[in-house]
Order: sequence, then C-alpha cells, then structure tokens
Amino acid sequence: MSGIFKGAFEPNIIAFLCNWCSYVGADLAGISRIRYPANVKVVRVMCSGRVNPLFVIYALRHGLDGILIAGCHPGDCHYLQGNYIARRRLVLMRRLIEYVGIDPRRLRVSWVSASEGAKFADLVKEMVDEIKKLGPIEQFHENI
Amino acid sequence: MNLDKAKIEAKKMLSRGEVKYVIGYEIGTYGFRISPSFARTPEEVDKFTLSPLCANNLVTYLKVERSPPLPKGIKPSNLKVALFAKGCDSRAILQLIAEKNLSREDVFIFGVPCTGRIDPKKIEAMFPRVVSKADVVEKDDSYIIMIEGKDHPVPKDKLIFDHCRSCQYPNPLVYDLLLGDEVAAGEDYYDSVVELEKQTLNERWNYWRSHFERCIRCNACRNVCPLCYCDDCILERLKPQWMRRSVNANDNTVYHLTRAYHMAGRCISCGECERVCPMHLPLMKLYKKLEKDVKELFEYTPGLTAEEKPLLTTFKPEDSEEFIK
Repeated sequence: MSGIFKGAFEPNIIAFLCNWCSYVGADLAGISRIRYPANVKVVRVMCSGRVNPLFVIYALRHGLDGILIAGCHPGDCHYLQGNYIARRRLVLMRRLIEYVGIDPRRLRVSWVSASEGAKFADLVKEMVDEIKKLGPIEQFHENI
Repeated sequence: MNLDKAKIEAKKMLSRGEVKYVIGYEIGTYGFRISPSFARTPEEVDKFTLSPLCANNLVTYLKVERSPPLPKGIKPSNLKVALFAKGCDSRAILQLIAEKNLSREDVFIFGVPCTGRIDPKKIEAMFPRVVSKADVVEKDDSYIIMIEGKDHPVPKDKLIFDHCRSCQYPNPLVYDLLLGDEVAAGEDYYDSVVELEKQTLNERWNYWRSHFERCIRCNACRNVCPLCYCDDCILERLKPQWMRRSVNANDNTVYHLTRAYHMAGRCISCGECERVCPMHLPLMKLYKKLEKDVKELFEYTPGLTAEEKPLLTTFKPEDSEEFIK
C-alpha cells in the first residue's frame, strides 16, 4: 500500500466515519466545496461502535500511515450508546499501541456531527500535516 | 494439615458421587515439576499435593467441561467439578461467571490462600539439571528446597513469580472450603511497566520486537489462559482472516497485540501465559500494562464480583476523553 504514492511522502490514511453524523459531515464538506487533502480514504460504517479495535492493528500491519475514526458527539449516537462504547475501546487501543512503540498520533478519534463539514476538513488537514511530520510508518515494513 | 482436610472432603464427595472429578496437583515426573491431577475415584485423591511449586491455574481445565460434542452414547452430566483455587484462580472463576460462561453451582472450590508461587524458570536456573523429585517447604520468608535429602534454604524473593510479588488478592474471593488462614496482600506496583513507559517509542518498539520475533506461535499462552474460551478463536480464524499464520516478527506482533487487546479488562494476572511460554516472552509486562490502564481510566478490576458487567460492554458518560480531538 505504501508504494502507491511516488515522490514526496503522501500519507495514506483510512477513515472510519459513522453513517449518521461523520459521514454526513464529510459529505457536507464536499457539498460546501471545502478543500481538504485527498490522502484520506473513507469507509462508511453504521456506527463508531462498529469499529472493531482490531481494525487499527490490521491497518497498521498493512502499512497505512494513519487511522481516523469519527462518530457522533457523545449523547447524539443514533444507537444511543455506540460512541460511548467505542470511546472505551479506543482509549485502550491507543494506549496499547503507544506502549509497544507505535506513535499514538497515528490513531485519531474525533466527534464530527452532521453539520460540522468545516471541522471535518480541518481535522483531515491537521492530521495529514501531523503524519507528514511523523513520516511513513516504518514499524511493519521489514519482511512483509 | 490443610491438604488433609481437602483430601477428606474430596474423598467424601467422590464416594457419594456428588462431583464428577476433583482437579488438584500432583508431583510431576522429575525435578521441580508439578502437574495437574484429575481424581475420579476416592483412591486417586491420595496422590494430591500442595506446595509453593503448585502454580498451575486449574480453572483452565473447566474449558474441557464446556466443549461439546460428547462421545457417542455419553450423556452430559450435571455433576459438579471440584478444584483447588488460589486467589488469582478464584478471580478467574468470578470473571467467567460474570461473562456467563460458568455458573457457580457447577463448581466446588477448595480455596487456597496463597503466599506466592515459585517460578519454575527461576528455580531451574538456580538448581539446574535436577532429575530426582524435589520438594519445597515454605518457612517464614524463605523456601527450604529438598533435593536428594539435602536442604537448601533460599530467600523467597529470589524464587517467587514477579506478578506474585505485587499480588493484591492472595486470598480466594470465592470458595466452598477454605484451606488455611487468610494471608496479607502484597503491595500494588507496576515497576516493570512504568520503567518501560519511560523509554522512547523506538526503544519500546525494539524491545517488544526483539521478544516477539522469537515467538514460535505455539498458542500455549492462549490455550492455558482460563479466560480464552472462544470456540472460534480470532487468532486462527480464516474467514475473515485477521492475521497471517506465518511466523515472522510482523505477524507475531499482530498476534500478541490482538491477544493482549482481547484480554483488556479481563486478564486476572495469574501469569500462566508467561509461565508456559517456551520462548520466555515477558508477556505479563504487556497484560499488566492493560490492567494498569483499566485501573487508571475506569477504576475497574476484573474478577472481583460475579455480578459486575464486563468492562467493555458498559460505559459511563464521564469516561476519559483526553485522547479525542
């Protein structure tokens, strides 16, 4: 996967966006013609609680430079508690990957509501800048 | 003696037909080895032993009970299983009950207050190549190791498991018959975890990498774990395949991260994974970290009550949000 981009380092980021808020927020960013980097590949999931924390390990193992997970603000979940449960899971996963030596900034979790198109664009810009500074993920590169 | 009390009770239960079998410890084949022992008749109870060498977590063997299918013609039995349980083992039982994988009525527990168990790796390093059966007796703050009629006193700290030293729950939290008096808990600390946390990301990665690349993926850590009971285990599932089955540093890292994450908020730190690891990986350092995080973030300790819901199935609105931007 890391070989897709030639030349200057362009991070490869996967984003899991919840169907009810964050995906609509990203859509709004598009409708409002807000520019944001094309490094992020969006996967729509029904809820941030659908995101299995193992997706994070899987993505890192397969050479993705960053993972963005976005859901509804706490209390706004379409399924009432999905994002609360995701929050518990992901804080542990973030600490675990940090403990084994992967920069935790590669895993970003955020709440983006349906009306926050501008926030989503800023979030992606910020994350891409940050990961450009970190450089490509090197941890899993040898003998893939 | 305490063991005699248990033996009498076990014999009584077996002869009355109240339990299917009793799981205990027996002296192993050589040296400091101890093996789990299954007594189906009252006579078999006589081979039971109880010493500081008996480190196995016998709760693992309750998995055998749970796995169908039974051989043809054999009906499932409703009888209890009796077993010996130390502090950590009893927490495994409570956690299994909390996860609805076991019911309290199915087990009879001989509670063993535990003053720490001897790490076979440490004792075998200290007394290498002992072939004849050795015995160990605890006396105050030291162990007296008897090999071929000779006594060797050794201070306790040198032989005990690292995780036993910081054990918070040495007394069984659930039991039917307590063998001996309750003992005082140790001091809670996470020295080795904190030490590793202080290092830089790269140093930590190199540390774990150097250990994980030695892993031979024998699955012993999973098989011995009392809380790893899924019939369809994610570590070897092929559809969907979460990790490749090849044995190399990358895939071993994924393997251990997955297993560690799976134990988050469930691991009761009995240290069995580290004890059985043939490659001597410091696995408890990984699981202790999660235990520490869970305690810090959610003030939760697994395996204390049978009623509490498992950590990751519940939430509190005021949970930590420091990492969300």
